[in-house]
Amino acid sequence: MLHKDSHQANLHIPDEELVRSADGELSPQRTTEVDTHLKACWDCRARMEEFQSTITGFVRDHHAEFDGQLPPGDGPRALLRARLAEWSDQSTTGWWKRVFHFGVPQMAVVGLSLIAIVTGISWFRQASQKPSYVLFDEEAAPNRSLTPGATRQVALSEVCSVPREEVIGNVPGALRQRVLLEYGISNARPEDYEIDYLIAPRLGGTEDIRNLWPEPYRTRVWNAHVKDALEQRLHEMVCSGQLDLSTAQHDIATDWIAAYKKYFHTDQPLVSHSSIGAATVLELGRVISSPV
Amino acid sequence: MGAELPPSHYENASIVVPSTVRRSAQPSSIEQEVMEMFDEFRHPLLRYSLSFGLTIHDAEEVIQEVFMALFRHLHLGRSRRNLRGWLFRVAHNLALKQRIANQASSQRTAGDASLADEHADPAPGPEEQLTAAQRRGFLQAVARALPENDQHCLRLRAEGLRYREIATVLGMSLGAVSVSLTRSLARLARADGR
Repeated sequence: MLHKDSHQANLHIPDEELVRSADGELSPQRTTEVDTHLKACWDCRARMEEFQSTITGFVRDHHAEFDGQLPPGDGPRALLRARLAEWSDQSTTGWWKRVFHFGVPQMAVVGLSLIAIVTGISWFRQASQKPSYVLFDEEAAPNRSLTPGATRQVALSEVCSVPREEVIGNVPGALRQRVLLEYGISNARPEDYEIDYLIAPRLGGTEDIRNLWPEPYRTRVWNAHVKDALEQRLHEMVCSGQLDLSTAQHDIATDWIAAYKKYFHTDQPLVSHSSIGAATVLELGRVISSPV
Repeated sequence: MGAELPPSHYENASIVVPSTVRRSAQPSSIEQEVMEMFDEFRHPLLRYSLSFGLTIHDAEEVIQEVFMALFRHLHLGRSRRNLRGWLFRVAHNLALKQRIANQASSQRTAGDASLADEHADPAPGPEEQLTAAQRRGFLQAVARALPENDQHCLRLRAEGLRYREIATVLGMSLGAVSVSLTRSLARLARADGR
């Protein structure tokens, strides 16, 4: 501890105060006292310089260890911007505000009307005794919390030099099992599921569990062939400069079916992209267009 | 340490925006603010996340989540005090969570009887440690031998956080931060002097 008394000049400043002084974490008064002492005491000054030197060395090594790994920020920046925009679009704040501005009596009327409509539809479906069809395959899209997508830092030139690859069956067995377990699927036969990349490698996707999901072969409409067509389309658009790579990655990772509709300007898979054949598509088309 | 690190204007963000202004802020202005903070803090947060032993890809994902959380935080009109400390705290928690997930995942993989290296010792041997020390710098190798909380304190300080911010991130008292940093620096200095 520092003492002003010159007879106690041998009582040096503790290490902790030296470090706090170097870090500007002492009170102004104590900082002045320490500075005064350092001017007079070579021993404390030497220890202070030792701390300063260690700090300098540590910070230099800390940066050297990690800075070489830091990729350019353009891609992550674009991805974040897209995610923020998406979140803003999906935000229900404005919707709720409008609802509350509507007023309680009006809300009650709307609520009762909704209940009546839902009840009516339910009754009509039961009365008509028609089979219910699943228009969109439930398992065609991955669970976003388990499979948000994962990409690597990749140059556009590299992306555009990658040929159209066959990815089916490339996932190692152990990783395949992990993906299936993650989705709670046990005792699956190899012919039941394809472990598919959400963001294809040719779009910068990686062989990471967060980029893989079990895509059932039994899905009929939005199946792997349709997704392959979307990947090819996005790859072409990216490489021809029509689309930013990060946007392509974002769109396919967020909702590949919506991305297909967006980039092919259609609500249903094109016949040429689906393996189920034109007749089946027509059949499904009739189902889709028929009243529920 | 402090002299080398320029303070951020988010460091002492006790300049609290009135709540009425916050509530009326449009998402676009908040988006802009978040992007500005992303530009300022991406590298420090990435380095800190990488210090948990994450891959660069995992660290990037952590950073994305951090700024999405920041966006929601600001969007809900929550406190703007010490946003830099808030960012590092969220990054700390997410990086820790990711590391635990990775460890659990690697344990599951290690449990696969088909893996030949099932019984391999995951810890690097002395020779590997020496190579790592030579590559990364001697002080970093010594720092890695410190208790984990001391390492976090050091790295957060190296990223420019003040003691009170470090205390917030790690849930420690100011005094504990001070003691931890002094202990670590003294140990590094001794090792460096040998």
